[in-house]
Amino acid sequence: MKGSVIIVDDDEAVRDSLCFLLKTVDLDAQTFTSGDEFLQNYDEEMHGCILLDIRMPGTSGIEVQKKLQELNCKLPIIFITGHGDVPMAVEAMQSGAFDFIQKPFRDQELLDRISQALEAHEADEEEASQEREIRNRFTGLTPREKEVMEFVVRGAANKVIAIDLGVSQRTVEIHRARVMEKMEARSLADLVRMSMQLDM
Amino acid sequence: MVDAFIVSKENGVIERFNKSAEIMFGYSAEEVEGENMNILMAAHDRKHHDQYLSRYRKTGKKKVIGIGREVVARRKDGSEFPADIAVGEVHGPDGRRFIGLVRDLTEIREAQTQSFRQRQEMLNTSRLSTMGEMAAAMAHELNQPLSAIANYSAACLRMIKSGNHDPEVISEALEKVNHQAHRASEVIRRTRDFTRATETRREATTVGEIVAEVKPLAELDAHANNIAVDYRIADNLPEIEVDSLQIQQVLLNLLRNAVDAMHDVQPEHRVIVVSSRYTAPGELSIVVTDQGSGITQQDAEKLFNPFFTTKRTGMGMGLAICRTIAETHNGSLEFRRNPDRGVSFALTLPTRPSGQTER
Repeated sequence: MKGSVIIVDDDEAVRDSLCFLLKTVDLDAQTFTSGDEFLQNYDEEMHGCILLDIRMPGTSGIEVQKKLQELNCKLPIIFITGHGDVPMAVEAMQSGAFDFIQKPFRDQELLDRISQALEAHEADEEEASQEREIRNRFTGLTPREKEVMEFVVRGAANKVIAIDLGVSQRTVEIHRARVMEKMEARSLADLVRMSMQLDM
Repeated sequence: MVDAFIVSKENGVIERFNKSAEIMFGYSAEEVEGENMNILMAAHDRKHHDQYLSRYRKTGKKKVIGIGREVVARRKDGSEFPADIAVGEVHGPDGRRFIGLVRDLTEIREAQTQSFRQRQEMLNTSRLSTMGEMAAAMAHELNQPLSAIANYSAACLRMIKSGNHDPEVISEALEKVNHQAHRASEVIRRTRDFTRATETRREATTVGEIVAEVKPLAELDAHANNIAVDYRIADNLPEIEVDSLQIQQVLLNLLRNAVDAMHDVQPEHRVIVVSSRYTAPGELSIVVTDQGSGITQQDAEKLFNPFFTTKRTGMGMGLAICRTIAETHNGSLEFRRNPDRGVSFALTLPTRPSGQTER
């Protein structure tokens, strides 16, 4: 599902004209007139990317970015900056902004960045949901199976695992097969990759 | 600090050294009485002092006596300070004596430098930051309607090109474009009002007075770079009616630029000339001529543009503001390449109509 573009800008004409432009490429937009209004309405289900004016009365764009990070929000942010705002934009980029674009912008340039941001977000989401799935599978393992998996992904041979755990090699082989099955791992490499995603 | 009082014999040997002198120089009277005066002077003045004395004895030509001079004095610990000396002579039965009064100028100089610096900073920051902030604010204010116009019009074009467009939607968007264009021009009008509001307090003055005000400041800068400033200001020029601070600022800016242009030139060319010209009836010019590296044709075209600069530091507002100031005074600021080397900037101003009474 394509996300929507969240526009946070204090200028009515800028918001309205952006929505109008986005509509020509069938993009949905949600608008907020200030950083505070957006933060009050922010929820984790939001989807897409944020076009954030860096210079606003009240909570500035940079502060909104910080607050969102505290909320662990993963939405990519494209900052809208003016002529003299480059140092601020640099700061924003260093704090992990997706991109920034200077006002007044060329439509194509803006639309390209938005679509890149949306794609990046989708890829992120994909990765996140994959990670959730793997974590689910992992929690389905028995304590013994988890133990065996930890040995396996570290490259231990069955014989070594058997000695370390004080069980027969045959038992290790059975646990190992169950791990591969429950984790839906196609190969040892696959299992190692999953363990990395789980930060094991 | 109280002035020091020193009496010496004709040959420069110190005879009396009072309490203030002890405090000022760090020597006790016993230490210096019987010594040559010149131990109280920095090397440069010491050499001259001996020459003055011998010349005075031979020719009677006074270099210092009755005139007063500024010298660099030297304390016992070797540290130096600027001092003003006044010397008189008395004739007694056992020969001639010189009586010297020495005033320590350290504090006065420091206070002067300090106040110059402060004024300079104040002038610079008030003028430049107002202009700078105004430019930034104006850029931001203009960017809003311009962004909206760019967005609306780009969207309209996309719709038209796609062949699938509703004339009503397009015309609605064009109305918004129109509205935003007016909004932009309103921003410009307001900015102009602002500049008018901050405008000028005119007062009658002379070029001489303005140059005199700028002189100490300009020379701090020039002398620090081993550059001399030669003033050739006619004293019979008609009065002008200007905002003195602004015109001082222009002149100071031109002098600064001249100094900056002469960093790399040979010592014999290190002179800036500030001259006046009565160019036409009702008009006069102040001309700042440097012998610096000059200005290329390419740079010359952009010289007065805001945000144009050839310097590594600075934001390129100096000459733009100077020209604006000149023009708000119904004058002009022009530059010309000198036939030999460097460039000249001429600030031309209308003179004050004669017969007008002081306000």
